[in-house]
Amino acid sequence: MFMLQEVTKRYPQGVALAPLSLAINAGEQVAIAGPSGSGKTTLLHLIGGVIQPDAGDISIDGRSLSRLRSGRELARLVGVIHQQHDLVPHLAVIHNVLAGRLGEWGLMKSLLSLVFPQERDAALRALNQVGLPDKLYQRTSQLSGGEQQRVAIARVLMQAPQAILADEPVASLDPARAEDLVRLLTQLALSTGRTLVSSLHSIELARTYFQRIVGLRNGELQFDLPAAAVTVSMLERLYDLQGLRDEVEVY
Amino acid sequence: MKSRFTEGRNILTLVLLAAFVWSLTTIPWGEDLIHAGGGQAFVQFVTAALTPELSPTFLQRALLASWQTLAYATASMTLAIAIGFPLGVVASGVLARRAGARLTSIYGVRLILAFLRSIHELVWAWLFVVAFGLSPMAGILALAIPYGGILGRVYAEVLQDVPQAPLHALRVAGASEWKVFLYGRFPMALPDLLSYGFYRWECSIRSAAILSFVGIPGLGYLIQVSLIDLKYSQVWTLLAFMVAIIVLVESWSNLVRRRLAA
Repeated sequence: MFMLQEVTKRYPQGVALAPLSLAINAGEQVAIAGPSGSGKTTLLHLIGGVIQPDAGDISIDGRSLSRLRSGRELARLVGVIHQQHDLVPHLAVIHNVLAGRLGEWGLMKSLLSLVFPQERDAALRALNQVGLPDKLYQRTSQLSGGEQQRVAIARVLMQAPQAILADEPVASLDPARAEDLVRLLTQLALSTGRTLVSSLHSIELARTYFQRIVGLRNGELQFDLPAAAVTVSMLERLYDLQGLRDEVEVY
Repeated sequence: MKSRFTEGRNILTLVLLAAFVWSLTTIPWGEDLIHAGGGQAFVQFVTAALTPELSPTFLQRALLASWQTLAYATASMTLAIAIGFPLGVVASGVLARRAGARLTSIYGVRLILAFLRSIHELVWAWLFVVAFGLSPMAGILALAIPYGGILGRVYAEVLQDVPQAPLHALRVAGASEWKVFLYGRFPMALPDLLSYGFYRWECSIRSAAILSFVGIPGLGYLIQVSLIDLKYSQVWTLLAFMVAIIVLVESWSNLVRRRLAA
């Protein structure tokens, strides 16, 4: 699904990602672990086409990312869930969910939908899948943080991309809700056969719910192993504060 | 360097202070400065506040005049939004994809907006009285044009100034700039757009009263007539009606804003 060859990204503050090669197969569930500033977000933004690499090549589904310039084409391949869910707080939940279809809809249909919601059944189905069936017409800002993150997942389900990228999807949630959400996300990806790549702070969640863990440190690949093969000493080395560079990740 | 700058600033302050003191000596401090009978008229005016005109026929007239003032202000505001909102969207440059088109639309339209609002509504009123004669149409246009210019300018900034992250998320989901506008920018800006619109509506009510001299009936016209007749009690009644309208608009605006707040 994703193929990275010797990909480098620099920011004015320093190197965010040293030459990195990585292959992720379709249907795989990969967690990206590492201390803050290790390049997790940069990696996700690169494979999501949000930023361009300074060197190296990235391809999605066999097609070079640099050729996928149209937003709609990219949106069919990759959907992104952000750390701060990034919904529009003033809109009703249903419109935030339906926003996942904007890449496919024409302008008139998009406009009409704000008055008479289009594809309402599909939106309801998506909200059912994330466990929020009764919040269709509630204003999004009235929902809790965890509920809003679920709406963001429903939006990605509406977008129906081949792969879902999640950038610290549970960073702002308490541990119990975080676990619920990660379970939901991995189950949904598995049941719909979608690739899932997510950065995670909690290594416990990564080991429990993901098949594969990629460890990043100072922008370099530390390990890339099946979740079961990751040992405690590897994690200690990954998160060791000694020799850790300052945060350079900016976005 | 720094101390010399401070020194220069102190000297400038002294010079300006001296100029001010000197200017006081040029004022003719004689009897002409304050109108001799003014004090008495002022006392009459203030004491009239205790006995506002409350006869049913006058209250009826005041009510009708309030309604007219409100109606003209609302008509001009509607026209001002019709002018200001589209121009504001273009002046914000948020729908233009290419940098060149964006800059052209931002600066071109901002120039038009600046022209519309840099001429005061009273001046526009003069111009339209020449064109249309003393008619309500002249008054409405005179208000709508500068207000449209002000709304456009402020709306452009409000539309630019929304949180960017949700907009970015919509773009990543494949939305074009027009759809980002519909699903992100506009709904997020709406509370501020409305709240500023309400404030301007309030201003337009006051201005509509002033513009009575170009032939708009309403509170301003009645105030003028009562003042000429030296009927201060009536003036106070009319002022009370004016305040009442403004308070009503204000409380409606609060109600709407509370419902829209995210």
